[in-house]
Formats: sequence, structure tokens, C-alpha cells
Amino acid sequence: MKRLILNLLLVLLAFTVQNGVFPLLPFLAATPNLLLILTFSFGFIYGREAGMWYGLLAGILLDLFYSGPFGFYTLLFINIGFFNGIFTRYYYEDYITLPLILSFVNELVYNLYIYVFRFLIRNRLDILYYTREIIIPETICTIVTTLLIYRFFLFTNRRLEEMENRRN
Amino acid sequence: MESKRSKYIMIGLSVFCVILIAVTSFKDGFLDPLRTGIGYFLIPVQSGVNRAGFTIYNNIENYGSFKEALAENEELRVRVNELVEENSRLQSNQLELQRLRALYELDQEYLQYEKIGARVIAKDSGDWFQVFRIDKGSADGIRVDANVMADGGLIGIVTDVGANYATVRSIIDDVSRVSGMAQQSGDHCIVSGDLTLFSEGRLRISNISRDGDIKDGDRIVTSNISSKYLPGILIGYATDITTDTTRLTKSGYLIPVADFNNLQEVLVIMELKEDYLQETDE
Repeated sequence: MKRLILNLLLVLLAFTVQNGVFPLLPFLAATPNLLLILTFSFGFIYGREAGMWYGLLAGILLDLFYSGPFGFYTLLFINIGFFNGIFTRYYYEDYITLPLILSFVNELVYNLYIYVFRFLIRNRLDILYYTREIIIPETICTIVTTLLIYRFFLFTNRRLEEMENRRN
Repeated sequence: MESKRSKYIMIGLSVFCVILIAVTSFKDGFLDPLRTGIGYFLIPVQSGVNRAGFTIYNNIENYGSFKEALAENEELRVRVNELVEENSRLQSNQLELQRLRALYELDQEYLQYEKIGARVIAKDSGDWFQVFRIDKGSADGIRVDANVMADGGLIGIVTDVGANYATVRSIIDDVSRVSGMAQQSGDHCIVSGDLTLFSEGRLRISNISRDGDIKDGDRIVTSNISSKYLPGILIGYATDITTDTTRLTKSGYLIPVADFNNLQEVLVIMELKEDYLQETDE
């Protein structure tokens, strides 16, 4: 229960920081995609179904922010939560390589999804430019942040688990 | 068993999303109560986090920029003197203009629009879209399609309004298209945002007719034939105008007057183009 509340708060915090603070700091050339990191971490650690629900929450928050078609981000985020949940059977606490690879793949999928459905369909064909200027900086930024956040996340999770065990 | 169940939920949710995307692509309005409702809860959080982040950042920066400010103060004093001189010259021009207008019985074309100030509290985090959110909404009288300005230039247009927030799409966003005209010659053109030009700080100008008289350095303002933008708002300056390969039109680039990298406060014009059109009809 405690963990659930903490995780929900984390999603909200990630959303506000991602939209309210990062983009307003002019010295940041690219910003990490915190919601994406959280969604795939939830999926990876807790399994498919949990990943899907957290993805639903993150996606709805993002969809509410934009005035485009509603559900665009929700669709992507529930899928990311779900499919990262498949890898939960390879989940070991101190194993960082797989989360990093997943983070890389997710970031690529996320950006290609936006490119194809928001840019390519309007006949913007210069994918090399978009890759160089947007996708690569954001991907690197997100992977580095994954290193930090994923660790922090595991740490708090382990703490909460210990507390729960002690009570039982 | 559990895995099958989650698979079904997953497929169900995905299908639901696709339907929702399809429906809202055509009709966006019916989700507004939901957006507004969540806005009541989320906007205070957003502006709180935003303000906290900014206070820290500004404090650090203030400290660093104090010395710069002293030097700049010196420069500005000189500049003020220059401007006072220029101002008196312009005033006499203005008087002359008024006389000439009266002579030609022209209405004053560029109205003083009523504006309201607002803080930028959130922005799209990735670089794909140039959309941001301000902390004033329909409760303050802001409506969809209201024009937004900063630094004396056009910034964007309101696309979505809740009770206490509004979402603004910048003119540098990839889908933005503004109908503009050269202030001097009155020739029309289209000013469109382009993500590939954004890092150079430029927008694209196109659809200038072959005989149109738009030269490098001309002031481009919003045109009087635009359906959503009020006439006469400065957008920026034309540059690198060339004739297209078809020889039928000319195109080039525009350097905006507003600084899009460092937006903190913006002005929202309360009057809409629709009102303006109705007034002129009457």
C-alpha cells in the first residue's frame, strides 16, 4: 500500500518536473524522459500488469497536457509498461545492463512513434536531421538518467520491503 | 491465468485508446470537463514545482549576473539618451502621420488590444513540440484562439483552455502556419514553423507572389486576411528571400523578434479575431 502511494507520487513528481522545470532551464540542451523511465522500471520490476496500469496513468497525464488527439500517449505508454513487463523474469536487483538496454530501446520506440505519427504523415522526410538533433541527444540523456533513477528506485523499494517484512 | 487476463486487459485498453484517438481527432470538445477537473488539482502542483525550481535557478543566476548588470547599466544609460532623442523625433513623425491619416480618412488600422499577463508554468519536455502552458485560463477571460505575445512580438495561439490554465502553441512549432504580410508593401505571405530551422532560430516564409515586394530586413506582421490572428502584430524580419524554382512564388526565412528560448511571462490578447471581424461587419 505504502509502495503504491509512493509510486503514484513519483509519477506525479516526474510529470511536473519534466514539464515544469527542465524545459525552462535554458542550459539543458536535451531533457531526460522521466515518465518513460518510471513506466518501464515499473513494468520491469513488478511485471506486465502493474507496468500497464502505471503506463496508463503516465499516458493520461501527458495526454491531458496536450490538446491533440486524446489517447496518443496513453496507447504508447500502456504498451511500453506491458512489453517491458515481459522481461521481469530476468529481473535481478543488481543487474543494470538489461535495464539500460531496455531504456535505449524504449527511447527509440518512443521517438520513432512520435516521428512517424506526427511528422512523417505530414511529409517531413528528413529523418536524419531529426535523429541527429532530437533523438540521439534525448536518448543519451535518458540513459544516463536511468542509471541514477533506477538505482534510487531499487533502493527505496528494498527499504519499503524491509519495513513491511518487519511489521509482519 | 493472470497472464492471460492481463493480455486481454492490455488489448482492450489499446483498442479503447485507438478509438479515442480516432474520435478526438475529429471532435475534441467533449473531454474538456475532464481536463478542467484535473487541472484544478494539477495546476497548483505544477506552478508550485515550477516556482520552486525557478527560485533556485534565479538565485544562482542573480548572483552571477550582478557584475554584468553593473556594466550593462552603464551601457543602458547611454542608450536611454539616444532613445530620448529618437523618441522626440518619432513623436513628430507620429503627428505627421496622424495628419496624413486624417487626410486620407483612414481608420486607425492597428488597434491597441487589451492584454493580460500570464506566467509560463510548463512546457513540453522533449524537443518535438513547441507547446507550453500558462497559469491563466477561462476564469480570467482567455478563450481558444487568443493570440499570445512577448517581447513585442507574436509568440503563438491558445489551443486549449481550462478554468485555470491555457495551452499555447508557439509559432515555431512544426504545424504552426501564420498568415503574414510585409508591413511596408502589404504583400501577403505564409510564416510557418519548421523543426529543422528551429535550432537556427528561424521560421520559413513562403507563398510570396512573384511580383511581391518583400526584401531582406522587411518587417513582417500578421496579415489582415488571417482568420485567427489579429492584424498588425509584429512577427519578425524577413531574410534570405529568393525566387522559387517554379518562378511563380518567392520564399525565404524569418527571424522572430520574440526570444523563444527564455519565455517566462507572456501577454495574452483578450480580443479574438472573430470579435474583430464582427465589429467591422457592423
